[in-house]
Amino acid sequence: MTENVPPFERRVHLIMGKGGVGRTTVAVSMAQAAALRGKRVLLTEVGDPEATKSAIGAFFGREELRVEPEHVAPGIDACRLWAEKGQESFARTVLPTGPLVKTALRSRAMRRLMSAAPAFHELGIFYHLLSLLELCGKDGQEQYSAVIVDMPATGHALALAELPKITLQVISRGPLPNAMRRGQAYINNPAVTAAWVVTLPEQLPVTESLELLEGLKRTGVPAAGVILNRHLDNYFSKAEIEVIEGALQDHPVRGTTSFQRIQTADRSSTRLRESTDLPIVQLDNIVNPINGDPSPALANALNQVAGSLR
Amino acid sequence: MSSSSLARLLKEKRVLVCCGAGGVGKTTVSASLALGAAQAGLRVVVITIDPSRRLAETLGVSPNQDAPTELSADRLASVGVSPPGSLSAWMLDPALVCDHVVRTVSKSAADAEELMNNRLYKNIAQLVAGMQEYTAVEALHGFVVDDRYDLVVLDTPPSRNALRFLETPHRANGFLDPKIFNLFLPSPDGALQKAAGKVIRKILDLGLGEESRTELQQFLDLFMVILKHLNHNQEEMRNFFASSDVSFLLVTSPNQAAVEEAFYFEQKTRELNLPLGGYILNRSLIREQSLPTLSLNDMPSAPPGVAESAVNKMMDLAAQEDEIIQRHLALGRQLQERVGTSSQLSVLPRLRTDASDLEALVELSHILKGTQPISRHAEASRPSVPPSAAGMPTSQSWFPPKNQS
Repeated sequence: MTENVPPFERRVHLIMGKGGVGRTTVAVSMAQAAALRGKRVLLTEVGDPEATKSAIGAFFGREELRVEPEHVAPGIDACRLWAEKGQESFARTVLPTGPLVKTALRSRAMRRLMSAAPAFHELGIFYHLLSLLELCGKDGQEQYSAVIVDMPATGHALALAELPKITLQVISRGPLPNAMRRGQAYINNPAVTAAWVVTLPEQLPVTESLELLEGLKRTGVPAAGVILNRHLDNYFSKAEIEVIEGALQDHPVRGTTSFQRIQTADRSSTRLRESTDLPIVQLDNIVNPINGDPSPALANALNQVAGSLR
Repeated sequence: MSSSSLARLLKEKRVLVCCGAGGVGKTTVSASLALGAAQAGLRVVVITIDPSRRLAETLGVSPNQDAPTELSADRLASVGVSPPGSLSAWMLDPALVCDHVVRTVSKSAADAEELMNNRLYKNIAQLVAGMQEYTAVEALHGFVVDDRYDLVVLDTPPSRNALRFLETPHRANGFLDPKIFNLFLPSPDGALQKAAGKVIRKILDLGLGEESRTELQQFLDLFMVILKHLNHNQEEMRNFFASSDVSFLLVTSPNQAAVEEAFYFEQKTRELNLPLGGYILNRSLIREQSLPTLSLNDMPSAPPGVAESAVNKMMDLAAQEDEIIQRHLALGRQLQERVGTSSQLSVLPRLRTDASDLEALVELSHILKGTQPISRHAEASRPSVPPSAAGMPTSQSWFPPKNQS
């Protein structure tokens, strides 16, 4: 086992976590951080380019993001991962190109099977990711040296991460399992892939991130660390906390909400630290402006941490 | 319109669907609504199809149960629910719902057993992330046709997935067109279908390998039976969702991205002709704008040095909160303008503690219904100068529509 690749130096980064914890912000910052380190970055998110607005796109001042990578910032290309795109690419690699096959593939029937049959949706997304990972430039080198994926919310993310394993359990021979094995060589390889769990210093998000880490173990995708987003420093002394809490019992005042949040954050991050051996990357409470130049503050913070993680 | 119209929805509707972006507190709001209705004497069940386990933590239910868990009489009594009112909670498990369907549609128990032993079927929940949406509708149908519950509150997954759940009936219909589905099955009838089926089988052979294709077809055979059953009910449910028995509530937190998601969702409910009940703005600080700041007089017995630095630090926090309050007010006005008079806007405060205990749910339920809060938490969130005479402020007194201001 020669898997001593520091997590930030790995090629594939899967950004996971429950809704609202700032997954996309972290993914975008991670992409910026990698670009600052000189990587050729691909930043992706799962989503139907025709049905939903792009969360990543919003950080770069655009509503839409296509399924083909396009340049969005210095050193960064971005695209959507979408099932139909992956299904098509897969079909093209395994099928003869006769007109009959073409017609059949385009038929309503096939479309419906692809969109509604079990797992075909996820398989398409996975294959799309795989084809982007395997993409090579004219020089024969991998086109992207860092691939950052803003994964869907917890349950769907785990389903996607577990897909190769499950598929191989039910299908053992043929092009599909082969593709899944190729995918596993990336996403189950701790020299290549780092899964990051994004969470907030609050009670339930911490609980859920610990559950997500448990789930990840099952998928065989290597967890690299927890990103504790919107960290709050507790600058109150023990004595101050005591008198303030005493006073607040009788008199609600302005500022109480923030005070309580700081105390909750303190307790929650302590619990997180006690519950996992993984590195915890703390990001300060910086609001990344949406629809404008994304703040480089988080990217810089990530790069500082990157140096220390081995 | 005020929170009291939300109280009316609780009394009059049979199903409330809470939609919104991830992280806005949908599950908490759903549970609070359910609790509010239970306090009014209704038998209520709250269902979450969110894979997270928030609701479980809050309401003390565990995953993988095949029926809702009712809160004990003691716990219910402690939160102001007495018979006939009751509150149950359930985490949807797609695999269990599928098993239930298989048993329902099978001719015998042995048949069901055989079906459930298919390798692909055994992995159905993992293989089919979309199964959640199919089965949510099925489960909801079960609760609607029998009369165990007066009200069902459905907590949906973050909106992008929730849209899929709303569109599922259409998709299932298309897939289940027997003419189309038969193409994938071992023995299609017509000559044309036979030819088309042959091509498709060839494609699947090439893609999956022949052995796996055969297994897939066996699975699809079974899956069709399940889907046919689900589809039958989904057709019914699609009509039901559009009826006056149902109301969709859009939950948002006071940040622009979440509000945009809610707007997007509103548009979607209009496109799909779904009855919109209104917006719920969660975790707002606006009710705190009239609270005083901490003063030395509040802590007479504290050591002077400590008291002073404590007051200074709290003043800093108060100043920061003032800015947040202004932003929340602006956002609230924007929402109120959008809502106009066509539906309603309810405002919930950010709670001091994590909103995961029953006590916190009680507080929220009272605010939602516009009744007087009873808990200690609530005391803090009530403004010292209520802008409305009716006790809790109505949303419009916070955000007067343009023509009145």
